[in-house]
Amino acid sequence: MSNEHHITPLRTYLIIAGSLLFLTGVTVWVSYIDLGSFNIILAMAVATLKATLVVLFFMHLLWDDKKNLVIFVMSLMFLGIFITFTLLDTGFRGGINPEVKTAIKSKASFYDNLPLTDTHGNPVESHEDHHEGEDDSHH
Amino acid sequence: MSENQNINYLNHPKGIMSWLLTLDHKRIGLMYLFSGIIFFLIGGLLALGMRLELAAPGNDFVSNDTYNSMYTLHGAIMIFLFIIPAIPGALGNILLPLMVGAKDVAFPRLNLASFYIYSFGALFAIYTIVNGGVDTGWTFYTPYSTQSTSNVVPMTLGIFIIGFSSILTGLNFIATVHKMRVPGLTWYKLPLFVWALYGTSLVQITATPVLAITMVLLILERFLGIGIFDPALGGDPVLYQHFFWFYSHPAVYIMILPAFGIISEIIPVHSRKKVWGYKFIAYSTLSIAFIGFLVWGHHMFTSGQSVFSQIVFSFITYFVGIPTGVKIFSWILTMYKGQVSFTTPMIYALAFLFLFTIGGLTGIFLGAVALDIHLHDTYFVVAHFHYVMQGGTIIAFLAGLHHWWPKSFGKMYNQKIASLCALGVFIGFNGTFFPQFLLGLRGMPRRYATYSDQFSELHTYSTFWSTILGLSIFIAILNLMWSLRKSNKLDPGSNPWGALTMEWTHTSSPPHPHNFESDPVFTNGPYDYDKVIVEPTLKK
Ligand code: HEM
Ligand SMILES: [Cu+2]
Repeated sequence: MSNEHHITPLRTYLIIAGSLLFLTGVTVWVSYIDLGSFNIILAMAVATLKATLVVLFFMHLLWDDKKNLVIFVMSLMFLGIFITFTLLDTGFRGGINPEVKTAIKSKASFYDNLPLTDTHGNPVESHEDHHEGEDDSHH
Repeated sequence: MSENQNINYLNHPKGIMSWLLTLDHKRIGLMYLFSGIIFFLIGGLLALGMRLELAAPGNDFVSNDTYNSMYTLHGAIMIFLFIIPAIPGALGNILLPLMVGAKDVAFPRLNLASFYIYSFGALFAIYTIVNGGVDTGWTFYTPYSTQSTSNVVPMTLGIFIIGFSSILTGLNFIATVHKMRVPGLTWYKLPLFVWALYGTSLVQITATPVLAITMVLLILERFLGIGIFDPALGGDPVLYQHFFWFYSHPAVYIMILPAFGIISEIIPVHSRKKVWGYKFIAYSTLSIAFIGFLVWGHHMFTSGQSVFSQIVFSFITYFVGIPTGVKIFSWILTMYKGQVSFTTPMIYALAFLFLFTIGGLTGIFLGAVALDIHLHDTYFVVAHFHYVMQGGTIIAFLAGLHHWWPKSFGKMYNQKIASLCALGVFIGFNGTFFPQFLLGLRGMPRRYATYSDQFSELHTYSTFWSTILGLSIFIAILNLMWSLRKSNKLDPGSNPWGALTMEWTHTSSPPHPHNFESDPVFTNGPYDYDKVIVEPTLKK
């Protein structure tokens, strides 16, 4: 390393730790609000933000040799490439054969063996908000 | 150089343990070389076995099930146990530190660990072979691979483990190129083989983790029934192909980039001419490494992938042709008006130029989505990837082996036999694989042990030439091994070809255990044949 060792003040650590706890709260809170497919996007965004804070401050990437930062950003970029291009497939399927648009089964059969519960883990007979295409997930 | 031969890395220190626990990059490289050659032999015998079965239309020698196992093992062994780990592991390890003027790679212990991780993974592959094989094809496509009762798990586990060895080697090479260069050796003075290894390493550390994830997901699905790929479990089988090819298309560049590097070294030396377009070659390596990440969908044109992504992937695939073409033209211009001598390495290099160009161009055919719908999973694809992987990578490997053999062992092989074998490889290769282009165009599907009568003439032809090909490679390797006998008095001297890169100019052949007897001083660029006069030490 070219520059001498960086010493982070305790206050910074505490602020970051506080933000991480706060963001965890945010994740739990939004999971109770039904935003449709936006739920997963939000959860991933918050998780990414948290990981970024950890890497930048706790793991000192912010003060480290900038080459390491480049490598970190590059790995995020490759992840982005993978997800974007794969979504170009799944998001646009069915252009020629509409029947391939939806999955044969939208839920893993793993769930068939689990007792049905509501969002708080209490057993229920059936799920109320029944979406189209899920009919075969519980017979 | 005879006095230096008293102490070199081959004879000092002595004893089997000094080899098994060595931290010397040259010895580790040799261990990769010999294990690689053993797997090359096993894979090659499987290939000849398949060609024998295909000599006539019916099930003449093996059952369909055995045949399925044979092509799966052939592909998996050649790719995952020989080409990917052993070529950078062998030639890369031996040459990289010597070329940058370093005593060793950046992390010698990690280097030895990589070799043992590779060996550990290889044990799983050997277990798979003796336990009855695996029948999914080297691509392990779902949903079949989650249902097949053959050894899918041991084989994929082996590949998972070997992946870590690739990642660690890549990491080691990157650190070596950044940190271990001798003062004065700037980036644009690096030999092009070093650039190639650098590009390869970048792809290894960015792509290989995805292969590991894919194999883990597959194993999880088999054991826990979690629906990721199997539609019966709620998964998406096409997703498997996205995962697999996100690694495996870049992996074809892990296979070909070192080959490009070898050719970039051999052509200037044996043409006595400065390499044409140094920066073009260097940067095309990096751009191939990058574009290689954006084209994987071209393996999935008939998978049910969306039409939109087909068009995108097809379009981007054409771009790979640009940096590849840049390299081919640079090599040809390097030879132009040079003093080309037809030594064994050069014959292989010329064969490479010819065969790789055919392979690359047919790749562009396959990248055109409309044409690929017809050609996918036919022998046309088989011919394409053998033209690039055998005609390209393996021929370049043989070229490199013959070029650096006197460097590694201080012995010269019989050049007449070697050159004859090189010709045999070239002719046998074309005879074997060119008919496969025609078979594919006529609709012969890949991965079948039998076929209808109309294909028999071309298949018989292909089988006939495959024996010439196999024999030539076998004799070429025997000829190299034979040169190691004690009574071989052919002394190539320290710089038989009169090359200007540091591994030839600054150390004896075979090199000192610590590479250079004193700290090397960087004197001339790697291809300055226009400025420096250097005499080959090999007597004709
Ligand atoms: C000029 C650049 C190249 C292009 C445009 C290209 C394009 C393609 C395409 C479109 C396919 C899919 C064909 C199909 O399955 O229908 C393919 C298959 C393949 N290519 Fe290439 N390729 C190129 C270079 C290479 C290189 C350098 C290698 C390896 C050293 C390679 C190895 C393979 C392999 C192994 C397959 C078959 C995979 C399988 O299905 O088993 N290609 N190539
Ligand atoms: Cu590809």
